[in-house]
Amino acid sequence: MVQYSLPLVPGPDKVRWNASVNGVNVDFFIDSNAILLDVLRDQSGSLGTKRGCDMGTCGCCSVMINGTPKLSCLVLAQEVRDCEITTVEGLSSGHHLHPIQQTFADCGGSQCGFCTPGFLVVSAALLEKNPSPSEAEIKTAIEGNLCRCTGYQQIVESISKASEILVSGRRVGNSTSSKSDPHPGFSGSE
Amino acid sequence: MSDNDRSIKSKEASERDVTSESGEMVGYRQQPGKLPFSKPGSGGRNRFSKPTDYSRIPESQGGSLKQPWGPHRHDDLVSGQVIGKPTSLVDSNWKVTGQAKYGDDIRLQGEVIGRILRSPHHYARVLSIDISKALELPGVLGVATGEDAPGKFGVLPVTKDEHAMAVEKVRHVGDLVACVAAIDEPTAREACRLIEVEYEVLDSIHDIKQGLEDSENPIHDRGKYHIGDSNVQKRVFQQFGNISDMKDSSLASHESNWTFTGVNHGFTEPHAVVAHWDPSGRLTLYTPQQVPHYLHRALADVLDIPMHQINVYRTFVGGGFGGKSDPFPHEMCAAILARKTGRPVRINFDREEVFWVNRGRHPSKISMSLHADSEGRLCGIETDALIDGGAFASFGHVTTYYNGVLHTAPYEIGAFHYTGARVWTNKPASGAMRGHGAVNSRCAVETGIDDLAEQLGVDPIDFRLANLLPPHSATITGFRVTSIGMRECLERVKEESGWDEKFRKMPLGKGIGIGCGFFISGSGLPIHWDPNKFPHATVHLKIDMDGGVTVHTGAADIGQGSDTVVAQSVAEVLGLPLDMIRVRSKESDTSPVDLGSYSSRVTFMNANAAISAAMEIRNELLEATSEITGSKIEGLVIGDRRIFDKRDPAVGVSYLEALHKAQEDKGALVSSGSYRTPPMGRAHKGAAAGLAPAYSFSAYVAEVDVDVETGQTKVTKVWAAHDCGKALNPLAVEGQIIGSCHMGLGQVLSEEMKYGRTGHLLNPDLLDYKIPTVHEMPDVTPIIVESNDPEGPFGAKEAGEGPLLPILPAVVNAVYDAIGVRVSELPITPDRLYKAIERRCKSEGIGEPSDMAPPRLEFTSLQETLQRRSIDHSKRDKERRLTDSPSPYHNGALFGLDPEIPGDEQDSRWAAVVIPPDGYLEDPGLAGSAWKHTERRYRGDVE
Ligand code: FES
Ligand code: FES
Repeated sequence: MVQYSLPLVPGPDKVRWNASVNGVNVDFFIDSNAILLDVLRDQSGSLGTKRGCDMGTCGCCSVMINGTPKLSCLVLAQEVRDCEITTVEGLSSGHHLHPIQQTFADCGGSQCGFCTPGFLVVSAALLEKNPSPSEAEIKTAIEGNLCRCTGYQQIVESISKASEILVSGRRVGNSTSSKSDPHPGFSGSE
Repeated sequence: MSDNDRSIKSKEASERDVTSESGEMVGYRQQPGKLPFSKPGSGGRNRFSKPTDYSRIPESQGGSLKQPWGPHRHDDLVSGQVIGKPTSLVDSNWKVTGQAKYGDDIRLQGEVIGRILRSPHHYARVLSIDISKALELPGVLGVATGEDAPGKFGVLPVTKDEHAMAVEKVRHVGDLVACVAAIDEPTAREACRLIEVEYEVLDSIHDIKQGLEDSENPIHDRGKYHIGDSNVQKRVFQQFGNISDMKDSSLASHESNWTFTGVNHGFTEPHAVVAHWDPSGRLTLYTPQQVPHYLHRALADVLDIPMHQINVYRTFVGGGFGGKSDPFPHEMCAAILARKTGRPVRINFDREEVFWVNRGRHPSKISMSLHADSEGRLCGIETDALIDGGAFASFGHVTTYYNGVLHTAPYEIGAFHYTGARVWTNKPASGAMRGHGAVNSRCAVETGIDDLAEQLGVDPIDFRLANLLPPHSATITGFRVTSIGMRECLERVKEESGWDEKFRKMPLGKGIGIGCGFFISGSGLPIHWDPNKFPHATVHLKIDMDGGVTVHTGAADIGQGSDTVVAQSVAEVLGLPLDMIRVRSKESDTSPVDLGSYSSRVTFMNANAAISAAMEIRNELLEATSEITGSKIEGLVIGDRRIFDKRDPAVGVSYLEALHKAQEDKGALVSSGSYRTPPMGRAHKGAAAGLAPAYSFSAYVAEVDVDVETGQTKVTKVWAAHDCGKALNPLAVEGQIIGSCHMGLGQVLSEEMKYGRTGHLLNPDLLDYKIPTVHEMPDVTPIIVESNDPEGPFGAKEAGEGPLLPILPAVVNAVYDAIGVRVSELPITPDRLYKAIERRCKSEGIGEPSDMAPPRLEFTSLQETLQRRSIDHSKRDKERRLTDSPSPYHNGALFGLDPEIPGDEQDSRWAAVVIPPDGYLEDPGLAGSAWKHTERRYRGDVE
């Protein structure tokens, strides 16, 4: 088989790009016309950022750019050079989920889960700015995100539950902590 | 025994605990909190098992859970662990952290990108394809065309009519012509451009009615089975009971002609597939599929290799709803390209391509006549449904039946007449979509009933309540309906919505409406009949010494939570916390065959299979315990990670002890359980379509605001009651109900696949295809009704599709209540509704829309008759559902037939007729006119 080297079809120039993706400084060459979503998925390995439509209509590709949620399929990667980008992978701290992640799991905010990264990023950004949003504020925040499974109701619930946790200052437990003992003692009165 | 007694008793028991002088445990009596020894493999966080949750154990098993619907065969398996508790999905942590791998997230080393060249023509013969230029482009590794895989496939074995890529013809814009594998996407796109295809354009058809006529070039040729020279793919004629008699005796009749546009599933994840032939020459195909098994079969056919050489790997599925439940040509393409190039090939779709694949709900024309007699009985339903199948058969064979047979319940009817036809047109294929085949005709029936009730001067809910089939009955077509929670659904929504204060009483522009639904829970016959004796679902369990349970199932989790429900069932039977169960459901190499996620079959069949697999293990654990403790097996019960003697709970062993005892001679415990539907149904042609081991019921009330000046409709509130038998996971059931509402709401208010004058799809994107956002969603109150189905796992039935049906008619009826205008075309967009408002104003001579009078209701004397009957029936139903073996009840008893004998056996006028009688064609319905053609084999002009 013949191996070819890039570029084959006359393509855009390669430019150097750096940014902080989920707290890590990345530095690589990208196509000068590359879309942020493609860079994140194909080059920085953030496959959690989903592509639902590629034209700004579904919200699955939402990421935070310097704290503001943006549709990464509509952002030219070059525009966000040196910015701080947070994707869904950057929400949890180690194995402690972000409250919004925990409540999405607990309250049915995620069914098939494909829209979930987008919703999480958008609502995490909302809660950052406004830790106890009203229902109307929540709805406004997620109006650009489509979900075909949940009918949004449990998503809105998840977000308000998360805000309760955030306000209370509690932290979500570590998901790697020990699980049920298959050989428990028996306590009849507990 | 009350809770109190029980806790006293268990205290006594623990106080009586026998310890020897030295403080050593004697026998298997344990002291609370004291562990005699620790077992290898132990060491988890939660050291003490919870006391058994008696509020979740049914009364019949000594618990305190009320059983208004009677006992169930799985009652003794309930350990109070997880069934019936809101449970988050077992894979939700993967999803919320972005770690879940969907189709396009599978990245293999050395992958290349596949792209598909699609037809620019609606209908054309492919004369030649020249791929030489494309192959010359640097970076192109392979090009494939129809010649590479001429084999046909399709989801239904009777209608295999798809090819991997065009062989001879392309049948719609977007149909596959060729495919390319290249080192990156721009190169692949460029290569597609370089493929030269010569077409001979043929006359395309787009109008569904035109499909009924003879054509020079029918879109497919089915040889001797072809229906005339037409584009009719399937036609159905069914007549039960004597419709003309019933018509004559009717007091009120409703007639409507509906137009339903096509809608798309609109799942968020576009199709994607990765194919990889490994060094040993086996194919692994990664794809978000609802029916991995059918794909498995199709791949074997098309690639011409045995099934065992293929591993179908179902990735996470970003929404299916029926749209990922066919074996798809692009999946074949990826496999073909990967074989050619020797590299893994990944194909990922644009949103536009998703619309070209479609398989969404059929655009349909449905005429509906309903008749009611002087007793307020529903004495006749006549339905004629012409549905637009697009270019391929897909599930259409079944859809054609479903449009009729799925509205023969929940009402007892006097006669049923159905003609249906599905035609091919040059559009992307229609197929199965949530509520398969039942949604449109159900909308027509329910709005018709609203109109009948109005004509009769009765309340539409009372009309329905007085005409319901009782539990354990057979419909007019012979479906065995066991549990029915319809009455409770209606009563609950009526009460919670404040129906009596609102219906026909609200000011202009505000309305309230009711709609009901009825849907199958699993289909009675598997799609592939060949090895007829195969079970529909199989589940394997494996427990090794660590105590965790590995569940192997082929059930495709598409977000509905099937992994969770299977895990729950196992956890419940074995008395284990959910975190000890791990589900492996992704690979056909490791999972037993499962037919897939369609027909709302997964929970019903897989949980049943999981329960029987777990029962086997349970027995082994009980035997082992009895050996250790010396207690009788019959006296042992399973609680939270502990097996103990019912009479003396202090005597018992931990789960791990029992397990290790049971493993002594054979190592890991393995078991296999399966489920197959019982024999059901009658013998007439088509009797199997719509047969299901159980049926779900639902009733919704919707409140709307209509702006009469603009025609804008806003749904403000929905009360949604659904009878799911038993909510194994109430959180998921509520999610399904609300999600169904959302999808149905889209169809009734805004979603439509629009085709332009020249037949082009105008809105293949999510901007113009309008899926409701959070702002369009009303406040939905989900109401779960649990009718405890005798066949279902722990009493459960489906909850995924049925809840979609009632929202359409509920909204349509509410719009009528608000402004007195009946629509007969969906979606109710402002422009459509405003035109209807104008029409009403014009015909009634009303100057301004705001002067229109909203409809009002004066009860006639019939209302009382109906109320009386519904009270009687409610008593009858209660008795029937609680008796162990109720006498048969066949549809027709309300009309004076003997309920114990099927109508067609006692009176020839009730016999099933499935071929149009002489004279029918003199004045056929629209779809009925499909019968004017003769099948070629009977015409004698084809071999
Ligand atoms: S992929 Fe960016 S909005 Fe849909
Ligand atoms: S969870 Fe499936 S699209 Fe939102």
